[in-house]
Amino acid sequence: MNVSSARLKVLIGDDEPMIRDVVREVLEAEPDFDVVAVAGDAEEAIRLAERHRPAVAILDVRMPCGGGVRAAREIRRRSPRTRIVAFSAHGDPGVVEEMRRAGVTEYLLKGVPNDDLVAAVRRLAAAD
Amino acid sequence: MPDADQEHPFHRQVRAPDRPETDLELLVQSVIDYSIFMLDPGGRIVSWNAGAQRIKGYASEDIIGKHFSVFYPPEDIAAGKPDWELEVAVTDGRLEDEGWRLRKDGTRFWANVVITALFDGTGRLRGFGKVTRDMTERRTAERTLDERGKLLNHLIRAQEAERRRIAWDVHDDTIQSMVAVGMRIQLMAGRLPDEHAAAMSRLNDAVSATIGRLRHLTFRMHPPEIDRAGLSEALSDYLAQVASEAGLTWELRHDLDREPSPEAAITIFRVCQEALTNVRKHAKATSVTVSLSSADHGVLVRVIDDGTGADPSYHGSARHGHFGLIEMRERAELAGGWWNIEGRSGEGTIVQFWLPMPPVGGPAERYFPG
Repeated sequence: MNVSSARLKVLIGDDEPMIRDVVREVLEAEPDFDVVAVAGDAEEAIRLAERHRPAVAILDVRMPCGGGVRAAREIRRRSPRTRIVAFSAHGDPGVVEEMRRAGVTEYLLKGVPNDDLVAAVRRLAAAD
Repeated sequence: MPDADQEHPFHRQVRAPDRPETDLELLVQSVIDYSIFMLDPGGRIVSWNAGAQRIKGYASEDIIGKHFSVFYPPEDIAAGKPDWELEVAVTDGRLEDEGWRLRKDGTRFWANVVITALFDGTGRLRGFGKVTRDMTERRTAERTLDERGKLLNHLIRAQEAERRRIAWDVHDDTIQSMVAVGMRIQLMAGRLPDEHAAAMSRLNDAVSATIGRLRHLTFRMHPPEIDRAGLSEALSDYLAQVASEAGLTWELRHDLDREPSPEAAITIFRVCQEALTNVRKHAKATSVTVSLSSADHGVLVRVIDDGTGADPSYHGSARHGHFGLIEMRERAELAGGWWNIEGRSGEGTIVQFWLPMPPVGGPAERYFPG
């Protein structure tokens, strides 16, 4: 539909169903967001990103099939316009640096207010 | 005057010579592998040789006249060991002991000590001869070969693996669940009538605080960088975090000639972690310095703060309930090393400890591969 195509397409990749569901709800509460795909591992995230070409992918760092690092690197390669937010329980500098090298420009620690996550997605989409 | 039957039973065997041989004196003075010196009957040092200076670090003018208990660690002094050793030497003629002794700079060496009581011809106690050898290196080599050393390494690995597993479980399960709960509370708060806003906000704050505490717990249980980046990197990350929380300036001095074994690195990290927790909680310090250096075929670590100074009663402190201090000491001693804390009111605290580091490719690795 025309209305949905104008909205900001977002992909969620997280192996924890409770997180996936609530992130989806948080984003869908925003009238201009459209969650186009939800993946439970890195492989699925890469595949769905290639198919849907989201504006933004929100990726967990520790997930099966290569984790957020692999997912980020492959998504950047296969869908170059997709921007990536890492949404992770891990804040140690080594992990953050690894994600940055994989093409991640926003790194949010799980536990930040919902508004921060929404704002990060908007910021990345606007930066394009 | 005691008659012959009342003479001390040992005076005939060990007797101070009336006129020492010059050559013998020269020998005693020059020997550097043994610390050889004499004590007066009260335990004060009356002579000193080159070996004593080399092993203990004191020049003769610094030490002559001092009581020999300066060589004993605080826990031995608290236990009355120096006086007890002299008493045994008087009763039995000699005493042999192995244990930690202090150098002038406060570091320790593993000593083999023989104290011999010296009686004159009348059976009167003239003093004591004390011969000390530094056995630190031999002890380190032996420990790497023995079953205890192997068991210890196994224990450290098993303990760390368990801690890591618990940390990951908390990270991947408990924290994630709490995060999901928190996000859902925020969603619900936006949909409920205003009168519930304050309650929802409090609930959300409680969840956030819990997540913070769990995160801190997992960080303490598993140092994320130690297996990735090595000890000094892990320590500097930890220092940076502790210092920023406590508003401290910090410095890490790293002067090791090689990277410690994984087990030693873990022990060093854990002891420093505990020492830094004390600095953060109790010291009221403005700066903290951690230094790592190679010494005595091992690693010497110092954690120095400029705070209020730890209470001296911390020593031998099981009875005072300072579990953090007990844990530090136990970790260091289990690894074959030593640990001590020095604090002076208003002058800060120094926690220092040493762990043996067997040579790379040494006998232990040849005999016990993997």
